[in-house]
This record gives sequence, structure tokens and C-alpha cells, in this order.
Amino acid sequence: MDEERAEAAAVDRHDPRPSSIPSGDGSVWADVSPLLEAACTDLPDGELIHGDNFNLFAAMSALEIMDPKMDSGMVSRYYSVDEAIENGAAPVPISCDKTGDVQCTIDIMDHLLACEATWHKGHSLAQTVFSCIYLLRPERTSSHALLHSYSRIIRATCKAVVSVVSDARTHEEEDLFTMAYGLPLIGEDEKCLSMLNAVEETIARQLRACKAPSSGRKVIEDLEPLQNNLALEEGYCKAILCRLRFRKHFYHVLMCLKRPQGRGLQLARKHISSCLSELEIIRKSTEVLRSNDYGTHNCGEDKTTASGRRPVGFDASINTRLSAPTPPRSIKILSWSEAVEYFVKLLHDLDIICSFSLDASLEGILQFMVQFQKSHPDLVSRAHLQTLLIQDGKLYGRDPIFAVIAKAAGLPEIVRNHDIQNGECLVHLGQLVINLLKILSTNAAWQRRKLGKIVQDWRVIHIQLELALRQEMGEESGISADQNGRGDILRQILIWVEEQTFWIASRFLMLGFELELYSPGEYCMVYWYIYVVLIKLAERMHHKMSFTNATAKLKGKKKKGSTKDMSRDFQIPASVLFLQSYICLAEGLTMMLAALKNERMLSQSPSPFNSDHERFIQHFELLQKAGVPDHISYQSFEESTKNARFSTLVMYNYFKDAQRIAKEVKNSFPNDPERQSELRRIEQVAEHNSIALTVLCRLGSLDSSLKVSFDFSHHPYFATAVVKRS
Amino acid sequence: METATSDAEEEKKATFEASEIEYASYGGEHHLPLIMGLVDHELSEPYSIFTYRYFVYLWPQLSFLAFHKGKCVGTVVCKMGEHRSTYRGYIAMLVVIKPYRGKGIATELVSRSIRVMKESGCEEVTLEAEVTNKGALALYGRLGFIRAKRLFRYYLNGVDAFRLKLLFPQRELHPSLVMMAHNDASQRHASNRPLEEFPEQQERDCSSMGESVSNK
Ligand SMILES: CC(C)(COP(=O)(O)OP(=O)(O)OC[C@H]1O[C@@H](n2cnc3c(N)ncnc32)[C@H](O)[C@@H]1OP(=O)(O)O)[C@@H](O)C(=O)NCCC(=O)NCCS
Repeated sequence: MDEERAEAAAVDRHDPRPSSIPSGDGSVWADVSPLLEAACTDLPDGELIHGDNFNLFAAMSALEIMDPKMDSGMVSRYYSVDEAIENGAAPVPISCDKTGDVQCTIDIMDHLLACEATWHKGHSLAQTVFSCIYLLRPERTSSHALLHSYSRIIRATCKAVVSVVSDARTHEEEDLFTMAYGLPLIGEDEKCLSMLNAVEETIARQLRACKAPSSGRKVIEDLEPLQNNLALEEGYCKAILCRLRFRKHFYHVLMCLKRPQGRGLQLARKHISSCLSELEIIRKSTEVLRSNDYGTHNCGEDKTTASGRRPVGFDASINTRLSAPTPPRSIKILSWSEAVEYFVKLLHDLDIICSFSLDASLEGILQFMVQFQKSHPDLVSRAHLQTLLIQDGKLYGRDPIFAVIAKAAGLPEIVRNHDIQNGECLVHLGQLVINLLKILSTNAAWQRRKLGKIVQDWRVIHIQLELALRQEMGEESGISADQNGRGDILRQILIWVEEQTFWIASRFLMLGFELELYSPGEYCMVYWYIYVVLIKLAERMHHKMSFTNATAKLKGKKKKGSTKDMSRDFQIPASVLFLQSYICLAEGLTMMLAALKNERMLSQSPSPFNSDHERFIQHFELLQKAGVPDHISYQSFEESTKNARFSTLVMYNYFKDAQRIAKEVKNSFPNDPERQSELRRIEQVAEHNSIALTVLCRLGSLDSSLKVSFDFSHHPYFATAVVKRS
Repeated sequence: METATSDAEEEKKATFEASEIEYASYGGEHHLPLIMGLVDHELSEPYSIFTYRYFVYLWPQLSFLAFHKGKCVGTVVCKMGEHRSTYRGYIAMLVVIKPYRGKGIATELVSRSIRVMKESGCEEVTLEAEVTNKGALALYGRLGFIRAKRLFRYYLNGVDAFRLKLLFPQRELHPSLVMMAHNDASQRHASNRPLEEFPEQQERDCSSMGESVSNK
């Protein structure tokens, strides 16, 4: 109805607009107003001509003019950065009063920190950090040393972060994250540090000057104070110094992390700890800044500055046109305290990465990555982890992937340069390993999806390796014995590939709990599948280890020429036993859940449109497609659970086994606090479930008032049964 | 579907018998403002009139409205179509106004749509729901939907979403045969698949609505 008028109004407001937009090759601009006008009389408001190419995306991209929820033009105050500047939105100096100017500068610094954290959390750079008009026009601030140096290091920092995230290519939200088109990031580099250092030096002297007894002041009389209010001088100098120093150290952290082969990690840790202590000082500066405030301020929770004031020189809508292809929308900037917290967490996560040993085995790395995920690290730290692990197609930019695989597969040192690594299959396998490491550094939701997909790739490489091995053996039988040990190498790698495939599958299944993808009605089938996969994993692991031991023994024997008894059983390795405790838990839970279902103790009405069979297919589709493991179907699940009854479960308590094994195996990992606490968790789940099972077996079918529910209070993946009388 | 952070007004329950609720399939122009009014009020995503038209014009048979004494108290809007070699239904919007909640109206509305989808040959039904929308998640869970994946910060408010899926029983083939067929096909593809990962297309296509909204 009012659309025409509204549009006219919008155009008015946006004047002056570019006089003419050049038309492209072979096209000219035509005035469509008469056509539209004619169409308007034919079509009532809101009607739609439906062409074949009109899809949902087109429908949803349509904007209704003057609807503030959709029309970003309506919300923006200025048509361009220049217009904003002309209107005095970002004056330099910010205030003619020196004290006011310093105050405003601090507010800008704080708001930028909040913007930066908001950006890291997944919003566009243009709408967060670069909502700062000062940042958009680098040359304008050059007369304001403090603001200028700060702006420069912010731009340099953004550039460094964009670069590491785009290098990592974690394929999450980074499209939005790294989109810096049209923003003045080019040209900023480490040179910004020298300017920042100079400014820091000056303010440090100003701080010394104001603290010195008045007699000593003469010595540095040539030095002007930071601002005019002597009572505030010390507080302001300190507030600015910690902010500058934080930026400096943070930039150093990024630069150190960038060094090849993890060479800067030690130094990075030093800067991280400096960052953290500066952040602490920044946090404490809040009191001074608030009490000194002589303007009005809101002390609401969502303020974005330490002082509580609104910063000068920001316009969130000014860049909305740069943030395509997203329909521009207003975003909520994190509060100042949330921002500080974000950076504390980021720095801690980076510190964890920096303190990880560069000599770890692949198995150790995978374990580390799983552990690291548990604290929900954000994109920036995950990107750093990935770029540290994989550089130039090598682990840490140092170890060739084949050597890493050979070591993981338990092959002896000498094999690591074997020419077998140049075969197509093994090159391919190397890529899969790199890919796996990349996937493990993405967020949990994305990671699970990708893990589900790569199971297939690992399965295929397995088949190819098997083929290669068969060829190898075939050729050998014709000619001579396996001279350069190719067969042995392939065989060993094959077992490892299988092991790795099951590891990926188990990780895929368990992540489902973390992401809350399973509902209680599905726990039974999920634990059953986990159980089946873990058994295979343990088998392969054991197989690999005994194979390694055997070859080691064989080699040793050859040397000594002795004849020891080869038939002697190998002890079950601790890492296999560790898995065994998982297996017992998974089996125990499967059986308990199945019994509950079979004895109709779970209040579950059948769903109207499908059954457990369909849910099974959907949850495990990706694993089933890849045949991981082989010969597993809904039917086998049904077979193994349909007879579960409490009367039979009472004879065999899997949880007791889990508990016993967990206790036993603890001693095998004396120097591994992570495993220790995991084993403690397992013991607890096992104990609770064991008691619950006993109660259910005794009373279950007799007492209809018993209600069973499951929670994850003791372990993130293994549920604890809670039995209550209702 | 992203839900609006709602004011705690209108919590008062209406008293009525389930039998007083009448259900109607989308019946033309006069229903459109009713649907728009309900959805605009309850869901935070702004939809242009074209979005509504897109759905009700192409799939009027999948949209339903619930009335109590002539007043529209709930609605469901859906679509269906080809998606990567499967034919699937998609539930775009579902709303029941507060005084009428908890009496099975939404369940009835959605069930009607799902039945039509099934009869029309859909193999599955999908939708997205905020991970915090416990009510909707429970409702769909009871209908047999699984949480197929979690979509990281799917909504503009930074909340994750679940992609929910309901698979209809496949009668034509014995399940194990289906599995084998999948197996063969997928392995053929996989062996010559390029190793470098593409940016994932699946989450960015515009075939289901929420995806294009949040532009993930
Ligand atoms: C989600 C929403 C559509 C549910 O509507 P509803 O009509 O209350 O849903 P139903 O009544 O069918 O089911 C909800 C509950 O009522 C219960 N119920 C079902 N039939 C019932 C009946 N005859 N009598 C009493 N309760 C009944 C259900 O068991 C369910 O119980 P719960 O509270 O344990 O979950 C509604 O809350 C809504 O509009 N929310 C805002 C928009 C939204 O979130 N949409 C979904 C986006 S994906």
C-alpha cells in the first residue's frame, strides 16, 4: 500500500546517491517505473507471479521495504562512511578536552575488544570490529598517536586472525568470518608494533612523571601529562597502558604461533601469560574508569565498555552493504565483561595447544584433540591447532605423513623411508590422515558429520590396501620371498587402517551424546552399536600390538639365535583393557535398556509413522553404508536384545566387570591424569548402574511404581540409571 | 524454526473440548492473513509475504489451520520436493497460540501434513528446531523424528539447531537389500572421489528453508 511512498522516502533519505551506475557489457539501464505502475493496477498488493525459476531462496530473499525487520536501509543512519564523518560521527580528536579525549579513547578500545570477541564468535568482521569508523579511514587518525597506533594494531591483528582461519579452512562459519572484502586490512603488518611501542613508552613516562614526588618532576618537565586532570592522571595512564600492552602481547602470540614447525610455541606461552595478566589489570581498571566518569552512563549488564558509556565513532549499520551475501541484520555485540572472559578462554585454549608435546605419536595427538574438544574451544584456537599440526602436508611441518603412519602402525624405524610410501594407495592414505586431523579440529557438530562421511573413505582405502597386499603376495609366491618386506609393511598398515576406521566410528557415535542427538528411546540401539564397534576396535588394537611384539621378538630371536617358545600367550595390553571397560559398560547398558523395554518398564508409546527399525537406519546409515562393521543390521540388533530379561541379567552383571577392569587397569597409567580421571568416571557409572540393575532385578517386574530414567551425571557418554519410586 | 522470545502474557489457558477444534486444509486467499498473523507473532524470523505465498500456493494440501469457534488458533505450513535423489517433505512453520497449547493441536496439525506427504510418495520428512525448544523437540520425538544432526549456531541468535528427520518405512525392498544396494553404489563413487574437501554444499543449499534464512 504505502510501498511507493516508502521507497521514495528511502531514496530521499539516502541522497546524495551516486549519480549514475555504469551499465555492463551489452546492457543498458531502462526506466521500469511505467511497467511497474501498470503491473500495480493488475496485481493486488502481495500477489506473486510464479515463474519456474522462483524458488524458496528467491522468496526468502525478497525484502519488504520499510519493514524494519527486513529493510536494512531503513535502519542505517548514514548512507556512507564519508557522510558519517561529515556529520561528525567520528571526530579527531574525539574531544577538545584532553581528559574527555582520553576517556573516549579508552571507551573505543573497550568497545573494539567487545566487537572483536563478537567477531570471533561468528559474526562478520564488517559488522563488528569495522563498525568503527576510525578503523575504516586509517589516514584520518594519524594526528592522534594513541588512537592511530591502537587502530593499526587492531587491523593487523584482524588480518593475522583472518589469515590463520582461512589457512585452516575448517569449513564452518569461516566464510562469514574471513570475509574482509572492502575493509582496510591490506598493508598492516608487524611494523605497527614499533609505533605502538613508542606510544606505550610515552605513556609509561607520563605515568612515572605523575607518580614521582613533585621535587623530581622538574627532571621530566618537558613531558606533557596525558591529560589535564591531575587526580585522574595515574588511573588513566594505567588503564591505557594495560590495554596497549594486551594488544602488543596478543599480536606477539599470533606471530609466534605462525612460526613454522612450532618453533614459536615457548615464546608464545610467555606472551600468553603476559596477555592474561594485562587482561586482569584491564578488568581491575573498571573501578577507576567508572568512578571518574562525569557523564551519564548505564551500568546495565550489556554495556560494552569498562566505563559503561557508549563509545564514540561506531555505526553498526554503516557496513551492512559489505556483509553480503548475508541479508544484513542487526547483531548483538558481546558485553565488555563477556568479551574479557572470551579472551581469557581463548588464551587458555591457546596455551593448552602451545604446551602440547611436539613429539607425540599420532595416537597421542588424536587423544589430545579429543580431550581439547571437551572444553569447547572456539574457532580461532581450533584454527591454530590445525595450522600447527599440519603445515606443508607434514605433521608440524616436520614429519612426513608416511613416517607418522608407519610409527602409528608399529613398524620399525627403518621402514619409514621405504619407497612403498610413493604408491598411490599410501599417498592417498596420507591424505586421509591429514584430513582426519583437520576434521578433528572443527566444532563438534561439524566434526561429527564429517567423521560420518570419512568412514566411507577409510573403508575404501582398506579395500585398496587389501588388494595391493594380495598382489604383493601373489607376485612373491612366483618369484622370491618378500625381499624388502613390502608384504609385512602392507599387512601391518592394513590392521592399523582397520583400527583407525573403528576409532572414527566410535568417535562418531559418542559425539552423538555430546551433541544430544539421541533420545532415551534410542539409547539401547546406540549402546549396542557402540558395543559392536568397540569390540572390533579392541580386536584390531590387540592384533596390531601382538603383531608388533611378534616381529620385535622375531628380530630379537634372529639376532640371538635362540629358540624361545613362540606359542606363549601375550598379555593383554593396558590400552586394550581400557577399551574393555568401555565395552562392558556399553554391553551392560544395552542389556539393561533392552530388559526395561522387554518388560515394558519404559513408558514409550509406539510412534505413529515408523518404528525403531527406521530410527536405526537413520542413525547408523553412514556406518552401515561403509560396512562398519560388516554384517551388522537392525536384525542383528533385534536378535541380540530381544531376549533380555531381568531374570537372566541377574546372572551376569556386566557393570561389575567394567568396575573391576577399570580398577585393575588404573595402575597401568600412572602418569596419565586424563586416563586416571576417565577410569574413575567409568568406575562410578559402573557402580551406580550395577546397583540400579540389582534393584531392578529384585523388584523390577513386581513393583510397577518403579520409574527408571537415565542421566549423564557421571560420564558424558555412558548414562547412569536412576531408579525412583513414583 | 526460530522462536520469538515471548512475553509471558496470554499464558491463561483457554477451556475447550478437543472436539470443538476444527481442522481445515488451506482453502485460499482468506486463510493467508490468518497464517501470517499467527506466524509473525510467534516466530522471530521475518518472512516476506512471498515466502508464505511460495508455500501455500505450491503446496496448499500440506498446510492446515486449526479453528476454535471460528478463531484461528494454530497452523502448519510445509512443502515437499526432490532433494538429492530422495523425495522429502519439509515442515516450515508450526504454531499454536499460547492459550491453546498442550492439548494436542500441534500434534494433530503436523500429523495431517505428514500423512499427506506420505501418501504423496515422500520417503522422509525433515525440519529444523532450536535445540532449546524442548516442547517442539518432544512433540516431534513422539512422532518418530530423530535428531539427525546438530547445526552449529544455526540461528541468528547464536543458538544451535537440530535437523530432525522422520523416515517412512520402506516397503518395496527388504531392508538388507536396500543396504546392499547402497553399499555398492557408494563404494563405486567413493573410490574416485577427490580427496580435498569441498566446502560443504549440503548445509548451504536453498532446498530447505531455514538453511537459506540463516545463510549457513
Ligand atoms: C510447539 C508448539 C507448536 C506445540 O503446540 P501444542 O499444540 O501445545 O502441542 P501439542 O499439544 O500437540 O503437544 C504438546 C504437549 O501437549 C500434550 N498433549 C497432546 N495431546 C493432549 C491432549 N489431548 N490433552 C492434553 N495434553 C495433550 C503432549 O503430550 C505434549 O506434552 P508435553 O507437554 O509433555 O510436550 C507450540 O508450543 C508453539 O506454537 N510454539 C511456538 C512456535 C514453535 O516453537 N514452533 C515449532 C517450531 S519447530
